[in-house]
Amino acid sequence: MAEDRSRILSLLAAGKITADEAERLLDALDTGAGAAAGPAGPAFTGDPSPLVAALPKYLYVQVNGSTGDNVHVKVPIALVRSGLKLTSLIPPLAMDQINKSLSEHGMSVDFTNLKPEDIDELIEGLREMEVNVDSKDGDVVRVYCA
Amino acid sequence: MNVPPAILHLVVARPGGHSVRLWLPLFLLWPLALALGVVALLITIIVDVVLLLLGRRYCRYTVLLARMCALFGETRGMDIRINSEQETFNLTVY
Repeated sequence: MAEDRSRILSLLAAGKITADEAERLLDALDTGAGAAAGPAGPAFTGDPSPLVAALPKYLYVQVNGSTGDNVHVKVPIALVRSGLKLTSLIPPLAMDQINKSLSEHGMSVDFTNLKPEDIDELIEGLREMEVNVDSKDGDVVRVYCA
Repeated sequence: MNVPPAILHLVVARPGGHSVRLWLPLFLLWPLALALGVVALLITIIVDVVLLLLGRRYCRYTVLLARMCALFGETRGMDIRINSEQETFNLTVY
């Protein structure tokens, strides 16, 4: 309950949701708390749709070069999730070749060790991730979810 | 799974050169994709059954096909914009 509340407030502080949305979410939380039967009941029993709607849906990658080159990429998080889940179904022979090719290019990522439960955890972590890089040259790189 | 992407907007432009601006109505290809998907599904089911009977460890081509279709369906909303002095490339999936 307290975690949900602090998460909503952090979303508001980060500017990812408006004050109205935060108010609605907090109301939904209060309703859920009121509806809870007792200590054994679930922490949140209200309508979860506002909370789900407030979750970030896109992964943004923005690169603004000092020379005027810009790259803006917006990828649905659902696409990232589907892509990662697809890796667990790739035939072993193809996966071996993919891993070999990745390691040849300096990325030693073994997708065979990626389990479905890890993917869900990874995606949840991704939602809260934010990367800001400001170089001396004036290049700016931002990676975030919204 | 979302509704499959309906329209693809592609822009490739070079300053002082040719530029390509395309609105591709992907929804027109949905019936064709559905027909191909059904055929592919039948083939993968047969392949999986044969692999299972042969005792092979990997026999999940049907699930792989379904996941690939789901992956294609999730591309809606993707937006890629690359702007440089030499070229502009925009790809948006609606």
